[in-house]
Amino acid sequence: MILLQSPSRFLLQILQDRVLSGEKGMDIDCHTVEFDDVRYHIQFSMRNPKVMVLSVALPLPPPEAILYDGLPLGAIEAIKAAYGPVVQILDPPKDGFDLTMKINLTKLPLDEEQRNTILTQIASIREVVLGAPLKLLLKHLASKTVAPNVNNLVALVHRPNESFFLAPQADKVTIVYPMRFQDSIDIVLATSFLQEFVEARRTAALNNVPSCMWSPVPPLELKGVSADALNANAGFVTFVVYPRHVEGKKLDRTVWNLLTFHAYVSYHVKCSEGFMHTRMRRRVESLIQALDRAKSDAEKLKKLVHGGSFKRLSLKNEGDSRF
Amino acid sequence: MDALSRPAVVIDNGTGYTKMGFAGNVEPCFITPTVVAVNDSFSGSAQPAVRGTPARGNWLAQHSAGVMADLDFYIGDEALARSRASSSHSLSYPIRNGQVENWDTMERFWQQCIFNYLRCDPEDHYFLLTESPLTAPETREYTGEIMFETFNVPGLYIAVQPVLALAAGYTTTKCEMTGVVVDVGDGATHIVPVADGYVIGSSIRSIPITGKDVTQFIHQLLKERGENIPAEESFDVARRIKEMYCYTSSDIVKEFNKHDKEPSKYIKHWTGTKPKTGAKYTCDIGYERFLGPEIFFNPEIYNNDFTTPLQVVIDKCIQSSPIDTRRALYKNIVLSGGSTMFKDFHRRLQRDLKKIVDARVRASNSRLISGDAKAQPIEVNVVSHPIQRYAVWFGGSVLASTAEFYEACHTKAEYEEYGASICRTNPVFKGMY
Ligand SMILES: Nc1ncnc2c1ncn2[C@@H]1O[C@H](COP(=O)(O)OP(=O)(O)O)[C@@H](O)[C@H]1O
Ligand SMILES: [Mg+2]
Repeated sequence: MILLQSPSRFLLQILQDRVLSGEKGMDIDCHTVEFDDVRYHIQFSMRNPKVMVLSVALPLPPPEAILYDGLPLGAIEAIKAAYGPVVQILDPPKDGFDLTMKINLTKLPLDEEQRNTILTQIASIREVVLGAPLKLLLKHLASKTVAPNVNNLVALVHRPNESFFLAPQADKVTIVYPMRFQDSIDIVLATSFLQEFVEARRTAALNNVPSCMWSPVPPLELKGVSADALNANAGFVTFVVYPRHVEGKKLDRTVWNLLTFHAYVSYHVKCSEGFMHTRMRRRVESLIQALDRAKSDAEKLKKLVHGGSFKRLSLKNEGDSRF
Repeated sequence: MDALSRPAVVIDNGTGYTKMGFAGNVEPCFITPTVVAVNDSFSGSAQPAVRGTPARGNWLAQHSAGVMADLDFYIGDEALARSRASSSHSLSYPIRNGQVENWDTMERFWQQCIFNYLRCDPEDHYFLLTESPLTAPETREYTGEIMFETFNVPGLYIAVQPVLALAAGYTTTKCEMTGVVVDVGDGATHIVPVADGYVIGSSIRSIPITGKDVTQFIHQLLKERGENIPAEESFDVARRIKEMYCYTSSDIVKEFNKHDKEPSKYIKHWTGTKPKTGAKYTCDIGYERFLGPEIFFNPEIYNNDFTTPLQVVIDKCIQSSPIDTRRALYKNIVLSGGSTMFKDFHRRLQRDLKKIVDARVRASNSRLISGDAKAQPIEVNVVSHPIQRYAVWFGGSVLASTAEFYEACHTKAEYEEYGASICRTNPVFKGMY
């Protein structure tokens, strides 16, 4: 299985190599973009080498997703809980971003292992912020309650202008993804991948993973949702998550996997296209080899023919060997 | 947001190292060895093992073995680590001498670069890739096919590496797109004259001495002196010694004397731990500090087959270019690639090349009869800049952040209408000069 890791490799690399080792006393001012239009901007100046500034832009929210000061439900609390005194949130964020944080490098723990843990967490800012509402709701599920003041259907942004939906109950949370792809081949591949994905889970009777369904039309849970939010071209995937899937350490993993489900499918689709091409290239190569062999056989034959001993064959073969 | 408003992805696939990142940045996000570790234990051994089973089982077993092998691979430093740790994976270097040799592993390499390193969706970004000046048009078609069909990129531009290196040198002042690029990478060294953004193809020179040869030479010198370096990592140590301690001397005889007079000042030490036992070891680094880079200026100390010094090849390259471009070419000789990073490399090259050029001017003047106009002295200028190590990538980053870049790209729609052959040519565009 190809799974994306939660920490951004790039953020982690910058945090670990450049700033802490201090080997290169160079300023940093760098922009990157991840899948689903999550953007980062990192600034570090030798004039103030104790601080690094990290800004994050989130996917453009669709109308049905509710944000609080531009951030998903519970994001601020999640940042504070994850980073403590190391990180300070700047208000307002930098122009063009939804969140700007000052990372105080002098407040990092001295113990190498602890320091690495927190740097890895900073590099996982995407999960901390975008996953905050999901984590909140699933934490309640772990204690078999429903979070107060939430609707019975919650829309959470996960891609630009797209949300997925949660129906929280005390004993289970139902999660529905309308699946959309741009490219026509991708739509076909994704649809069949999803059906197989669901089937594989059913037949393998994987009791430890959430049960999962695919349907071409919106499931009942989405009744009343606006039509725009429901125009999916690769069907709908539904997961039902029970308390046992989110107890203890499983929670973080489940949050990240649910948050990146679309990216996971998209990555698989791209990879299978890649593998198909590899196969096709190999096939073409072996065909060319076969043709070459056939050609040289034909040529050998032709030589013999011109040698004069196979007169009767000559008529038939000369025509073929012209290829 | 649409693809036009997001930064383009810029990937410079070198023989030795791949530089990748987003347009508009000063530095690539990642520099990683261009290598893939593939698991060949499946595809190789699966066949004999399943012989004799019913046809359908056979097919299924082979199919799933193939899929497993397809998924089980690593790139870059992780690939090197994986192949060291277990014998199940073998290394494939998809690019040799600047040319893609293995498209299967090249495609996998790109896949990992895009999804796991840059972590971006290829449908969201225009792409700028680079190629060596000697790349055949068919290769460009292959690249286009993979980019458009497998990765669904919305737009693609394949730039010639030395042209980008030239663009990298001139961002603050006026952009001068005439010059000679001396690109010394890990596995290929090219000398490429460019006039107004177009490569003068007939005058390109390649020489068989590269960064890898410097490493090889240092490796050999250390071994001959009997330095105590564990064999399994000796080549890698030689490379790191090269990158950290080598410099270009102005005169090797003088340099030998300096080292002999004051060894404590010039001899460096390397400390490492043996991978197997974990024990510490040290070794001395002496003459190889300046002998390594010397192989560009005096190749005969390394190799008997190729003995033409770099400065002579550059001079021949310019002399074979159209006469009206020569002065401008001598004036703008731009260094690019990791193996031009040795301290004082550009000074030495400039001096040695100037000697040749001055001697020629003098010779032609001495043949003159009194009264003839004397030849004007020729300005020789070897340009060095701080981002030389990844000048190609940086030039790509600069060009791909101009509006003209998006117009010069081939789009997916064009690809679908006209086919892969559109990728054969990539127009030189404004903003390049
Ligand atoms: N600071 C340095 N000094 C000398 N050589 C270096 C330095 N940094 C990198 N190199 C060498 O440069 C080569 C890589 O250069 P690069 O231009 O990236 O190659 P390519 O594009 O052919 O892959 C390697 O041989 C590496 O050892
Ligand atoms: Mg290169």
